[in-house]
Parts: sequence; C-alpha cells; structure tokens
Amino acid sequence: MKGIITEIQRFSLHDGPGIRTTVFMKGCNMRCAWCHNPETIQIKPQLQFFPGKCIECGECIRICPNGVHAVLGNKRVLKRDLCVGCGKCASVCYSGALVLVGKEIDTKEVMKEIMEDIQYYHQSGGGITISGGEPLVQKFFSFEILKLCKEKGIHTAIETNVAMPWSDISFILPVTDLIMLDIKAMDDSVHKKWTGVSNSRILKNIKKLSEKEIPLIIRTPIIPGVNDSTEEIGRIAKYISSLSNVLYYELLPFNPLGAPKYESLDMKNVFEHSKITDKKLMKQLAQTARKFVKNVRMKV
Amino acid sequence: MKYIKRINLLVEAKNRQTKQKLDRLGARDEDDYGCVVPPEDFKFELPIKDENGSFSGAYAWGKNFRHLMECHPVYVDPNDALAGRWMFMLSRMRQGYRLELSNFAFDYSHLKPNQHKYDITCGIGKDAHFAPDYRIGLELGWGGLLDKVKRSLESFAKDPIASELLEAEIDAIEGVQNWILRTAETAHAMASEKNEPELRENLEQIAKINKYLVNGVPETFREACQWIAWFNMASRTYNRDGAGGQLDELLRPYYERDKAKGMINDCDVEFYIACLLLNDPHYYQLGGPDRDGNDMTSPLSFIILEAASKLKVSCNLTIRVHKKMDKRLFRRGVEILLKDKLGYPRFSGDKALVEGFCKNGYSEGLARERIATGCNWMSLPGMEYTLNDVVKINIAKVFEVAFYENMKSMATLKNLQELFARHFEIAIETVAEGMDFHLEHQYLNEPELMLNLLSYGPIEKGLDMSHGGAKYYNMALDCAGLATVADSFAALEQRVEKEKILSWQEVEKHLSDDFSGRGGERVRRMLAASEKYGQGNSLGDNWARWLNKIFVEKVALRTTPKGRKMIPGWFSWADSVRFGKNVGATPNGRKAAKPISHGANPCPGFRKDNALTAMSNAIASIQPGYGNSAPWQLELDIGSTQHPNAVDNIIALLQTHFDIGGTLVNINIVDAATIIRAHEKPEDYPYLIVRVTGFSAYFTSLSKDFRQLVVDRIIES
Repeated sequence: MKGIITEIQRFSLHDGPGIRTTVFMKGCNMRCAWCHNPETIQIKPQLQFFPGKCIECGECIRICPNGVHAVLGNKRVLKRDLCVGCGKCASVCYSGALVLVGKEIDTKEVMKEIMEDIQYYHQSGGGITISGGEPLVQKFFSFEILKLCKEKGIHTAIETNVAMPWSDISFILPVTDLIMLDIKAMDDSVHKKWTGVSNSRILKNIKKLSEKEIPLIIRTPIIPGVNDSTEEIGRIAKYISSLSNVLYYELLPFNPLGAPKYESLDMKNVFEHSKITDKKLMKQLAQTARKFVKNVRMKV
Repeated sequence: MKYIKRINLLVEAKNRQTKQKLDRLGARDEDDYGCVVPPEDFKFELPIKDENGSFSGAYAWGKNFRHLMECHPVYVDPNDALAGRWMFMLSRMRQGYRLELSNFAFDYSHLKPNQHKYDITCGIGKDAHFAPDYRIGLELGWGGLLDKVKRSLESFAKDPIASELLEAEIDAIEGVQNWILRTAETAHAMASEKNEPELRENLEQIAKINKYLVNGVPETFREACQWIAWFNMASRTYNRDGAGGQLDELLRPYYERDKAKGMINDCDVEFYIACLLLNDPHYYQLGGPDRDGNDMTSPLSFIILEAASKLKVSCNLTIRVHKKMDKRLFRRGVEILLKDKLGYPRFSGDKALVEGFCKNGYSEGLARERIATGCNWMSLPGMEYTLNDVVKINIAKVFEVAFYENMKSMATLKNLQELFARHFEIAIETVAEGMDFHLEHQYLNEPELMLNLLSYGPIEKGLDMSHGGAKYYNMALDCAGLATVADSFAALEQRVEKEKILSWQEVEKHLSDDFSGRGGERVRRMLAASEKYGQGNSLGDNWARWLNKIFVEKVALRTTPKGRKMIPGWFSWADSVRFGKNVGATPNGRKAAKPISHGANPCPGFRKDNALTAMSNAIASIQPGYGNSAPWQLELDIGSTQHPNAVDNIIALLQTHFDIGGTLVNINIVDAATIIRAHEKPEDYPYLIVRVTGFSAYFTSLSKDFRQLVVDRIIES
C-alpha cells in the first residue's frame, strides 16, 4: 500500500515516550495559522525553494518543461502557478535549493526504515509515531503501518487533531497504543478563526476517546494573541480535568522555526514576526493549568 | 560539606594554572594535563645529550630523569590532601621532538617512502600508550620496587643490556624518592609557618605521609592515593604516560580497611579522590566485570563519580557497561554527564570488547581484565605492550593513490576497488614492518623506565616492555578516514557507474582543480549529495562494511613479519585535521586539505535528521571486533538532554549501542550557540571543557584548527 509522506525522522524524543521513529504524513484537514510544518498541509507534493542555497547553475531552468524557473535581470524567479510538481528541477538541484516535499512511498519501505531502530524502541519503551499533517487524512495507509508495527511488537502512537468523524478515529484504535492530540482553544469562534474548523466535534471526540482505555497525551501550542492567556489555558485545563486516561497535559511554546518553510513555499506566514513564548509566561500558564490538572509539563 | 571550601580553592588554583599554561605555552592540541608551569627562574640542563641535543638509551634516560627528579621544583598546596604537581616532560626535552613523529636514534629510511606515500603515522619511537598495573607499586612501595630491581640486577650482572636497563631503573626510582623526600621536608617546613590549625595539621600529615612513602608500602587510603599520584606525576614527567587503571578496585581494599577502623568517612574519601583527580586527569575506569564476570562496582565507584562532579574540571572516567553491571552506576554516570556537561564519564561496552579480544585466542577471564585507559586504548594492566593510538593509516590518502592510478588505465569502480585493496595491503605491510623495527630498537632509543616498574616481566627479565619484557604484544593499528573513503566509493558508484551522470574523467578533473573550475561547485554538491555511510542500507554503508572487512582480514588475521599480533581499530584521534591537509579533494565532495572524517563516525550531515540511532547502528556495524575499540564520538545536543526522560533515553541509546556491538562512546554536550561564541572569543569561556576525541581539554587551550573541528561536529549534530 502506498501513501504520501514528507519524511521519516528517527531518534525522535518529543513525539511520545522513549526513543521513537516519527513518520510525517502529508495532508491535513485543518488550517492552523501557526502550523510550523506548513509543507504538510496540502496532500500533493509541493516545490520548496530556498534561494540562499542556490548556486545558480541553471540546471532547473534547462530541465523544467513548464518554464517555472527563470532569471529576470539579476533576479531568480519562480513562477509557482506554472508548477505541476513533477520534481524534475528538484532532482537536478544538488545544493538543496529546490526540494520536492512529499513523496509516494510503500508501507514496505516505511517499515524497512522503522525496523532499523527496533532494539532502541524496546530498550527505551519507545516505538513509532505517525504525525503530519494529519495521519487520518490517509487513514488506510496509517492503519497499515501501525498494524505492521503492532505485529512486530512495536509500541504505536499517533498525533492527530481528531477533527474528523468518530468512525475514522475508531477505525485506527485497534492498532494504536497512545494518542497525542491538541486542544488549541475552548472558545469555538477563536478556534474557527485560527484553524478553519469548529472545535465542537473535536471536543466530542476527545470525550469519547477518554472513555476508551487508550492513554492520551493532550497538548496546547501556546500561540501569541490566540490562546496565550491564563483564562484560555485555565478553561482548557478545566476541560481536561473531566477526562480519564490522560497521561499528562503539555504546554508547547510557540515555535518560530517554521518561518523559512513558509518562505520556501511562498505561503503567507501570519506569525512571521512572532517569537518563541517567553519562559516566564510559560511558567505562569503551567501554574494555571496545575490548578486543574495534576500532571502538567512544559516543553522548554 | 567539610571540604567544600578547600575544594573550591583548589579548583580556583587549577583555573589559574590553566590560564598560566595558556599564557606561557600557547595553544596545545592535546589533553588538559595536571601539570603546572615551573617557576620563571627555573633552569634545567640535560646532563647527557648527543651532538644533536637529543639522547637515547637506558643510561642516558636514567641519568637525565634522575637529574630532573632531583632538580624538580617542589609543589605543596596547604588545601590539598596530596602533595605534588608535575611540570615537565623529559621526552619532549629532546631536540627535534614532534608530537606526530618521535625522535628515533635508528635509521628506518627504507620504510619512509611508503610511509609518506600513504600518510602513515608509523609509531616508531613512540612511547607509553599501554597500561601499568598499579597493584605492583602499591604492594611494594618505592622501597620495595628498588629492592626488586637491585635483586634482579644481581642476577643479570653478566648481561650488559639488562644491567644497563636495571641500573637506569635504579636511577629512576631514586630520583623519584628524592623528589618525594624534598616534598615531605618542604611540607614540614610549611607546617611550622602555618597559623590555621586545620591547614597546619594537613601539612603535617602531608609531610608524614610522604616521608613514609619514600620507601614505605602505602597502608591507608590517603597513602594509596598519594602513591598513585606520585607514580602518575613521575610517569608523566618521564614520557607523558597517562594510562590510569581500574581506580575503584585498586583503592577498595584501603577504603574498606580504613572505614572498618573508623579512620575515614565517605566525606574524607571523596575529598582524597577529588585531590587525586585534580592532581592529574589520568584515564580511570569504574565498574566492570572481574575475571569471573562478577560486577566490581562498589561504593567507591560512586564516590569517585561524585568527587569528579564536585570538581567540574577536566576528567577522564570511563564506566564499563556489562551484563551484570550495577545499573545504578550506569544511571548515576549518565545523570552526571547530563548535569555537568563536561564530557565525562564516557562508557565502554564490555560485551564486544571481551568477545573480540577472545578471538585472538585469549581466555574470557583475561579479556575481562583489559581496561579502557586512553582516548581509545584497551590494555591489560602491566601485561600488554600495545602502542595504542600512535600507529595510524590515513586511508583517504590510500584512496587518493588508488584513484589516480585507476585513472591511468581504463578507470572502473572494480579496478579502483582492487587498487585500493592492494595499496591498503602495502600500507599495512609497511606499518607491520615498522612495528617490528620499533620493537627491535625502541629499548635502545627510549626505554619505558617508569612503566616497566609496574609491569609483569621487565624487571624480572631485565628486558624493556618494548623488547621482550611484556607478557603479550598486541600492536594496535588504527585507520582514519572511514566515512570519507566509504562515501567517496559510494559517490562514484552512484553518479558514475549507476546513474552515469558523471564520467571518470570529469570527476578526475574536478578533484584535481579542487572543484574550482566551471561547473565544479555543482559537481561537488552532486557528489556530496550521494548515498552516505550511516544512512542505513545505503551504498555508503555497504562500502564502509567492505572497508572494515578488508581491514580486519589484512590486520587481525595475520601477524607482523616477526610474528607479533596486530589488532585493528578505527580512530583518528584529532589527526583528522592533520591527515586532511595531506589529501586533495575527494569524491565525497570534500575539498582539498579539509579534515577527513573523524574516527568511526559518519560524515556530518549524513542524514537530514542526523539520527543518533542511525549513527549508532552504523558505527556498531563496522567494529573490527578483535578487542580494540572503534569509538563513537557522540555530540549530544542540549535539547535532548533537557527532556524529562533524558537519562533513560540516553541509557537506552548507549545500552543498545553496546548490545549491537559498540565498544566505546566518547560524549560531548555543548550547544551550538555556546560553542560558536566560544570559538569567536575563547577568552570569554576559559573554563569550557570539551571532549575533543577521546581526550578532554579546555576549549580555550586548543588551536583554531582544533576548535573548528569540535565546532563543526557540534553544529552538524
């Protein structure tokens, strides 16, 4: 079975317990304005351009069948609207200036990479995590990988937005040991404005998940001007306190490292000038959360 | 708490001395040593030297060393539990001495053409680099050692070579005794002038202990530490030996006896150990199995770790990871490593080391006695002559020779492979001949007067360790440049043979002009973007395994012409900089004169995620497997150490690495931002300690090239 991924990252320490391998799926059903992996939003392969790496060899201009690449005056130009994502230019760009992000891959190939670290998973209590993007946008592909891992005795986890019909979520549960999900805001109007979807189905799905016996890790990325207040975090934490099977609640500081990716894809970055969340504020928000939830972590 | 103030003062003194060394001696691309600068007005003349300003042979070494010991300035710090600091290296007082090429009184010019051709560090004339057994000295004391030598001398009265050696040993011992006695007298004089009761009492103790140790056998824990310190200082002064030993087990009997008598408590013990570690950062091993496989971890193992952690100066402690180890020692070691971020302890993997050494025909019990005592060294204390870490082949140079020879005919990958194997064989034969030459002549060049004393055989047989005195001869041959060569083969296979997007002639042209010609940079990037060693099941991995296979076949499965065993390892020390300067551009996209790859590590940037598990797998897969190490130089980024489960994750990573065949892990934890700032202004970071390769040093004491080596590795990680 094939699917589209952006990358496989080994020795992941922040996507679940222990030493893990994370498979990043391409495609997402939400449009979070702060997404630090914007290359995972669209499911089809996309061309990234990093002009600082360009060595001006001109091979991309020569090979592109659609005239996407050009030099006008002294300026390097990329006509993105003409690009069909064939990847020919990226295949001849050895400097890494042009990258086709998103490749079709078979589950066998994914498993081959995953199996390289099986001894580390067992030793550390780690395993594999399917992330993205949104894993359940390619639910059959994700299911297959998780199933194959379970057959090998590997612990499985997914990072999902749970913003889909419950049937999609329940489909994946038999092969998932751990679910990591975000609660970005309790205020639905805020949620719709910044993510493109309502939080109503999300919250219902979380409630249902908590009634199953599957461990949950709940996270909130702290986003400036969106949810970085004690009021909002307090509301989220209070909601979490009503759930069962929550291993811990984690606050993640705003991650500005996605900025170059937005530029590379010619995408607007609403949070272009935002900085990583102040440590003092993080501590304050964590303190607020601890009023409702016993086990609160704060990523530094 | 009792000793906190004194430890802080001693560390301050160490920091001052470190700065003094930097100011007076400039950058030194080697270990941080416990030595201090001599007084400004100190003058020393070698009593015996030849017309070239050098000296050789047992007689000259004995006399020169004795004279140096008798003149050596005395050092006593009232806050210290132990007396003494060393200040000189006799071996470097020979005119013409160079770190990479020792003085040698005999002509081996017949070997030089090939040594030069393949950029071989031949090791001829190199000294030390094997481990003593401190138990010999602790059981006999200096007086007992002297008696032993004198008795042996009587039995070799008619043997001029043995007599010369043993008389020189007498000079060495009596020189050391002189130094100790003068130190005791100085401490006594200082005591009479000291007002503070605690420090006066301490000085009187120092005086008493050292007066006793001139001849006596150490009986107490503190006396044992002081005895070890004296041997270390004398041995360093003689020829920089820093091998160390299984410290916890050496000192355990004294610890248990003194505690049972109520003479010391753990606080005292920790302080004495701290003083020993401050005296010199010798390479000590903790934990590990005894001959029967039972764990040797004791309370002292933990105290030594805690003492090092309190000091926070450069230190070289290795924890042996084995099946029956006390996991608490492993955990505490990793906790200290992550907390202090000073590159220690490091960790050795007993499973692969013991199994590997047994393949040479040795028993498991003997193999377990072998300890990690240097950057990458493995040595049987007092029994084995090894020349660890000083014999190297730059295989990037061998590759270069093969590549250009390949271009003279019908260039193919198969042809290149065969040529490489052939030239590698010649390089190894040259090394083997050099080892025999060294073993035949070194005793006449530079006998191991200090290490002989703590070895089984030299005094008894009247033969230097390098010349028949040792029980075992396992000559260590390391190669450097594994990833550079593996990736170069892979790039040629991929781009020239498989994809056919480059011709052999194009590659040759671009290598010859260092990628500076038209289209050169693109070709360089293309080659650099080829499959690499470390990616996992890549062309580079296949080539790395092939390189290891032929290395093992050509080294471990044969002997030198005179029948000496050789043991292979992958280790460049910090010579990756020097070796790189001797090699032009290589097909992995490396530019001319840039450093070659480091040790057994893949090249930086080998994977987009730089996954440590991938690196671990790769390095475990190319272990030569005959008992010597191919260390993993592990740069841990700060982020991974701040994770709530960092300790467990790192333990899992290291344990798995050893389970799958890894042998030794040297670790750094410095974040990229700090190291970049420190590189720009090293004077702003006078106490930043890094593990350069196997050795640890103050960052500020390194040359710009060496600092760059460390910076590049950390940034790429």
